[in-house]
Amino acid sequence: MPRILLPVILAVASAAVSTTLDARADESGWAVIEGRAAGETVYFNAWGGDPGINRYLAWAGDRILERHGIRLVHVKVSDIAEAVSRIVAERQVGRDHDGSVDLLWINGENFAALKARGLLYGPWTERLPNASLVDWQGNPTTRIDFTLPTRGYELPWGTSVFTLFYDRAHIEQPPGSPQTLLAWIESNPGRFSYPQPPSFLGTAFLKQLLLALNGDDARLQRPVADDFEAVTAPLWAWLHKAHPGMWRRGRLFPPSGPAQRELLASGEIHWLMSYSPAEASRAIHQRELPASVAGFHLPDGALANSHFLAIPWNARNRDGAMVVANFLISPEAQARKADEQIWGDLTVLDLDRLDSADRAMFREKRTGGATPALADRLVPEPHPSWSTRLEQAWLERYTR
Amino acid sequence: MKRASVYVLLTVSAVPTVCGLAGALWYGSDPDSFQRVLDAPGIGLSLASSVWTGMLATLVSLLLAHLAVAVAMTGKWRARLNALALPFLAMPHLALGIGLALVLAPSGLLLRLISPDLTGLTQPPDWFTVQDPLGISLIIGLVIKETAFLVLVLFAARAQVPVDRLMLQTRSLGYGRLKGWCIAVAPLLQAQIRLPLVAVLVFGITNVEMAIPLGPGLPPTFSVMLWHWYTDPDPAIHAQAYSGSLLLLAVAAISVAGLTGLAHLGRMLWRRSAWRGTRRTRDDNVRRAMALLLGVFWTLGFLCLVALLLRSAGGIWHFPDLLPTAAKPLDGLSGLLAAGMVLENTTLLAIATALAAVVLVLPAAERLHRSADGRRLVGALLFVPLLLPQMTFLLGVQVFLSALRIEGTFMAVLWCHVIFALPYAWGMLAPARAAIDPRYQATARTLGASRWRAWSAITAPMLLRSGMLAVALAFSVSVALYLPTLFAGAGRVATAATEAAASAASGSLAPASVHALILAMLPMLAFVLAYAGHALVFRRRRGVPG
Repeated sequence: MPRILLPVILAVASAAVSTTLDARADESGWAVIEGRAAGETVYFNAWGGDPGINRYLAWAGDRILERHGIRLVHVKVSDIAEAVSRIVAERQVGRDHDGSVDLLWINGENFAALKARGLLYGPWTERLPNASLVDWQGNPTTRIDFTLPTRGYELPWGTSVFTLFYDRAHIEQPPGSPQTLLAWIESNPGRFSYPQPPSFLGTAFLKQLLLALNGDDARLQRPVADDFEAVTAPLWAWLHKAHPGMWRRGRLFPPSGPAQRELLASGEIHWLMSYSPAEASRAIHQRELPASVAGFHLPDGALANSHFLAIPWNARNRDGAMVVANFLISPEAQARKADEQIWGDLTVLDLDRLDSADRAMFREKRTGGATPALADRLVPEPHPSWSTRLEQAWLERYTR
Repeated sequence: MKRASVYVLLTVSAVPTVCGLAGALWYGSDPDSFQRVLDAPGIGLSLASSVWTGMLATLVSLLLAHLAVAVAMTGKWRARLNALALPFLAMPHLALGIGLALVLAPSGLLLRLISPDLTGLTQPPDWFTVQDPLGISLIIGLVIKETAFLVLVLFAARAQVPVDRLMLQTRSLGYGRLKGWCIAVAPLLQAQIRLPLVAVLVFGITNVEMAIPLGPGLPPTFSVMLWHWYTDPDPAIHAQAYSGSLLLLAVAAISVAGLTGLAHLGRMLWRRSAWRGTRRTRDDNVRRAMALLLGVFWTLGFLCLVALLLRSAGGIWHFPDLLPTAAKPLDGLSGLLAAGMVLENTTLLAIATALAAVVLVLPAAERLHRSADGRRLVGALLFVPLLLPQMTFLLGVQVFLSALRIEGTFMAVLWCHVIFALPYAWGMLAPARAAIDPRYQATARTLGASRWRAWSAITAPMLLRSGMLAVALAFSVSVALYLPTLFAGAGRVATAATEAAASAASGSLAPASVHALILAMLPMLAFVLAYAGHALVFRRRRGVPG
């Protein structure tokens, strides 16, 4: 009985607490927030699977310590879901203050899960001085996260476009459609694979395929309904034909994007997929992939979304988290992030709003030869319920 | 009053264990989430592959360990067996697992060594040599580790068995040395190692350390599935982890019962073979086979280290190149330096764990040095955490730590490490203390030395060797611990084990290799220091027993 009542009580209590805190924060200006944040430690939970990104965050940490006296600790998680589940667990045991996470790198279903349970602090993003530079109008993915309006509960940090990469040493012409890709897989057994759903890239591949096979992106913008089987039937038919020709006969999948990259570099497979168009250029520069890798977008339209920064409701150091977030969307940090030799993440800022010195930083960023031209058509992410159902259906079909 | 030391020792070990089990029961016994566990895709196959890999690995390891000890003790390597097995004991499961994956994979070191010259392969073949659906690669990894562990346990148990007398009797009855050992000594040794054997089985069934790099993928073994659920943001799935961990406990218990049944069968067969009375005076083939197997183990272990070293250098490791091209060994090094906190955390935790374990164990061992029954009871109680699936009681421990708001603190992680180090420290120190002839100390006392002086001048030096090995052992146990660090550390305490596991799980082999190398090196360093330190201290005390 107490276990049933507890969440209700907590929800009411935390709502009350956060309203009073909001009122207090509104009265204080940005300088006050910065003042309170100095000397604090911010635990930033972010995916830690990429050494380049880890180095970028270490650089950001140095700058933030220098300028704001805040110690930024990058808590490296192999999947941000780990941090999300810890936040959920903290709610379960009634830990409404002093949470273990101050800031997290998040989007899509994880954002939806935390937002739906009221486990995020906000709205806070409008309070940041640098928020006025964001391309809110030109890039709708900064406001809408997997069909869910962000309403100031998360701050856009970068934009991702689903991109396919292939090894030109083994493939002359990239396939222009799922059908030609299937034909390639069938005639080159064991050389194609994709990250295992529910890892986000694996699920993204399923969605990208579904968009290309189904053609009706408007349907995918609305939640899943009774027509799930009908809408996804072409996807399962494609996978059913393709799996026997894939790496390990479709009975084992690389667990993540980096794993797939290692397989490509060793020559086990000839394909790679990423949400970052700069992925291959960056890896070639860092000598993690051979120079023969090149990228392309499927002509029907590339899946796109933004990734965000959010603050849990029980964050120990909310002010510090906001100061860190404000730095992370500053022109300096965004330009460095867009440099492909650093990270190559597309910026969320509207370059027209920057002054000329800041704009110059973006012009100096480097782009590699394996990066495809910006996709002709960006297709926004389907409603998150599609991801959940696709992952579930995938596991039910192929876990045996 | 001096019993307090024993109670303190037992309390330190029992509190988290009991609380953890209680927590797991409380959070796990929800019929709805149980139902969801049972409905999870691939659950049956996942459970089956856990039991199959754990059970087969245990049986094979036990058989090999007995054979290895028998061959060694009746042959030329009598003195060397310990030294041959120790490096494998020191190498953490995670490091060996990641290393083996790099050696055995189709694009792994083994095939590169012979390609394309011998195989004609210019591209890696699409073979299931690691993470195969049957779990063979996982079984191989477990067998290498657990054989080494059981060899050392059997080796230690021989002190309790009148080996020389039994061997003399069988020799005089005309049995070959190996056969004589197998029918007379081995059963008595076996009776001494029941608890360690159960620990091996439970670990085999419930581990994630080897199942992540080597185990099957679709579905993974059950504990890996639980580990995925534990990290799922959906609270319903998160709750499944708690219920699933109870199922894991039940499966482990049933498997232990199954092992007891198998042991019964084994005894019958054993007895029948003894009854037959064949003398088997020629056992060269078995000896040769064992030597070969040992050679294979050592080669694999060595290749693991080489592969870890090569992969940690980064770069592009295109098949069939033997060396990574465009590798930047400096990058591997800078990776190591970036892992600075990791190295610091790992070492600090391990040193603190080792010291805490020895400090807790020493007074209790002193107190019980004349009570064999007391020692056996304490030993068995301290062993309990090793008999439970880590997943089960650590999930519960985490709930308690979180409620007390001490999860993620150094002390919380330290406590969880100490409970795993205690059984080893006790196993090393308690018998060593009991083996010291009480007359040494009595003599010192008669000569007017105080109790403390008698202990520090007489007993302590004789305990030094075991003490140093206990420190090294506890140190390497702590270095290798993954789930306790993850759960008690709330994901915030980064050690080589947590980093290696996270990288291995996401398939990022270069960072996984860097951390696996740290994992492999630290325990070896600890043992080298323990032996060297002992030799240094004892260079002028050569006659001192111990």
